[in-house]
Amino acid sequence: MAELQSQAAHAATTPAVMSPWDKVVNLVSRYPVAFMTLFFILFPFVVPYQALATQIIIWGLFALGYNVCLGYTGMLSFGHAAYFGVGSYTLGIVLIRLWENVWFGLACATFMGGITALVLGYLCIKRRGIYFALLTLAFAQLLYFVAFQWVNLTGGDNGLRNIPAVPLALPGFSVDIHDPLRFYFFVLFFVVLALLLLQRILQSPFGRVLEAVRENDPRARSCGYETSNVRWLAFIVSGAISGLAGGLYALYLHFVGIESLYWVTSGQILMITLLGGMGSFIGPFIGAGVFLFLEDVLSAITVNWMIFLGTVFILCVLFFPDGIWGTFVKLIGRKSALKR
Amino acid sequence: MPEHQKGKGKGVSRRTFFKTTGVAAGAAALGGFHFVRKSQAASGPLKLGCPLPLTGPYGTEALDQQAGAALAVAEVNKNGGVLGRKVELVVRDTKLKADEAARRAKELIESVKVELMTGCLSAANQLAVNEQCKLVGMPYMSISQSNEITERRDASVYTYHEALDPHTTTQAVGKWAAQKFGKRWYFLTSDYAFGWQLTDGFRRVGKMFGVQDVGETKHPLGTADFSSYFPRIMAAKPDVLIIDNFGKDQLNTIKQATSFGLKKKIQLLCPVLLASARLGAGTAAYEGVVGGTSFYWEQNHPTAKKFVAAFQKANGRPPIDYAGYAYSGVLELLNGVNRAGKLDALALATAIENRNYDNYKGKQWWRPCDHQSQQDVFILRSKTPKKKYDVFEIIDTVSGANEALLRTCVELGHKPGVPNRTGLKK
Repeated sequence: MAELQSQAAHAATTPAVMSPWDKVVNLVSRYPVAFMTLFFILFPFVVPYQALATQIIIWGLFALGYNVCLGYTGMLSFGHAAYFGVGSYTLGIVLIRLWENVWFGLACATFMGGITALVLGYLCIKRRGIYFALLTLAFAQLLYFVAFQWVNLTGGDNGLRNIPAVPLALPGFSVDIHDPLRFYFFVLFFVVLALLLLQRILQSPFGRVLEAVRENDPRARSCGYETSNVRWLAFIVSGAISGLAGGLYALYLHFVGIESLYWVTSGQILMITLLGGMGSFIGPFIGAGVFLFLEDVLSAITVNWMIFLGTVFILCVLFFPDGIWGTFVKLIGRKSALKR
Repeated sequence: MPEHQKGKGKGVSRRTFFKTTGVAAGAAALGGFHFVRKSQAASGPLKLGCPLPLTGPYGTEALDQQAGAALAVAEVNKNGGVLGRKVELVVRDTKLKADEAARRAKELIESVKVELMTGCLSAANQLAVNEQCKLVGMPYMSISQSNEITERRDASVYTYHEALDPHTTTQAVGKWAAQKFGKRWYFLTSDYAFGWQLTDGFRRVGKMFGVQDVGETKHPLGTADFSSYFPRIMAAKPDVLIIDNFGKDQLNTIKQATSFGLKKKIQLLCPVLLASARLGAGTAAYEGVVGGTSFYWEQNHPTAKKFVAAFQKANGRPPIDYAGYAYSGVLELLNGVNRAGKLDALALATAIENRNYDNYKGKQWWRPCDHQSQQDVFILRSKTPKKKYDVFEIIDTVSGANEALLRTCVELGHKPGVPNRTGLKK
């Protein structure tokens, strides 16, 4: 969004002769979604195994949704596991009990993520700061315990199993998406869709208001915006994207673990977002990539992998508060062009 | 970025949209031509996947499982491997989280290209791994307790369960305790499937012996402080306190119950008495505690002695607790493939089903309908050690013969006597 505007402003001041590097930077900042799509198409061929790539873009999508809350609107939610988990369980339950259709399942997951955010958002949004964070946490834990106890529906502690492996129904033919690479591109389709949607939203007047609310709530209010509603709407969008990510994750694992609703998941997504850099498209995906890659590699080497991951996180928070992407952008001196 | 104003590039241009979606769609179509390199590595080492909760409250037991599996692999390799190929054990940490276990199993299958799977501790973890294995038709040897894994919904032609399950454990220990101790029982239950199933099992067997259920306290997995539960337990005046938990939870319960003076009036009973917890808590804390087990290393039995000696040589200590499951389970899996003569799930099932074997603890038998291993349960009492690791004495053996301790095939949703062919992939 703002890439385009700031880039437009930037283009005006760019010297007539640009180095190839400048051109690349310029192009990337002009078409972030196209650039990311291109990158993600190549991505599964550079990671150690394709399932990791899938996992990274699913968590990146989740972080992207979370970022609508944290990065763009400035709401620190500590309960996003709720929408992710609800999305996961919705997909699983729909596929098991209602209709073996992947599209329908994912639509339901997105919808239920949004609805849960609508209800919980209504209850939380009036509070700010620490109260907001704790309320979101409390409600997410509430859902966790409901899922934990409701064994008949959710499988309880043992998780939801026996999600049917259904092929992807397209008009006229169906595709088996259980090949790792095919499934990756299936997920990528939704990631690109979410990116485009989000870009559109953030470029709209509503997107501007979101930032106004983040930067200065009383001022936004004095300009005539009902900031509570703006937050609420952002919260719902965030919940819906998280729900979609949850649905994809359930489809990916053919299994929903009770952990998907647990507060640790909420903490993890916060960590991923901070690690990558808030308030940008690319940041959450970088955060997810670094987090999951490190976890994957380190935990295969040592059982004390958490020490290393924790150290990376602490260093990031202390010395690179803009996250990996934010710092990178600063370093190449294209702050105005690339940031956000 | 408050300073940005409205610019020219508002909205996604149609061109950008088509470009991106077009590329994505093209790539997806291209993905269709991608073929999986499966069963190509037939010449290299045969990889055996083994996800275990190395970090978390069951870490000690998981390390024991790892050592047991490694010993079995080493023995098979020494005898020429599997179908002439060396076997390689690939261990992954599940952190005791089910979705992590599922992810790890997926990684092992898709990236490491394992051809057989074992491992896991905790019901949720093994069910998640089983799910992944069923999906791709890979044999999976489960080596920790679960009731569900042999039930119709989760069991399959690919699934094997070497360990005891909570039902068997409680039938054996409960029957024994009902005859030896008082009839007022109180339950301290770890609040998840494993704990619930233990408590349910005890209630079931207790009824047959006229046992009175005087109360239950549930605690979350990984509780540090149990002392706040004890006044209520004391007030209920039970004869027996049944401690339906595992790992560090068991250690903390018994340690704190001892310092609280609970043992003066109440007999402590652990369905799964762990040497690891006993070693951690010390002699005084466990004095007089009785419980059940699948295996104890001082058992006087030829195969047990052989197993313990080999384990001791490799690890410098005797096997405790769950090493036996892993050792025996991995042996069954690998030797089964050798007997089958090819790496084929159906041939393996035929080679294993209805088999009588004795790998480390006495007679065991693979029941065909659910791939559950029938075995004996031992009753242990904690004692003052004469040497290190000499912590229990076997005071009784509850025979598992003739499916006495197992749920019936019908109860589990299988046809009795018919080999399990659920979920078989063509």
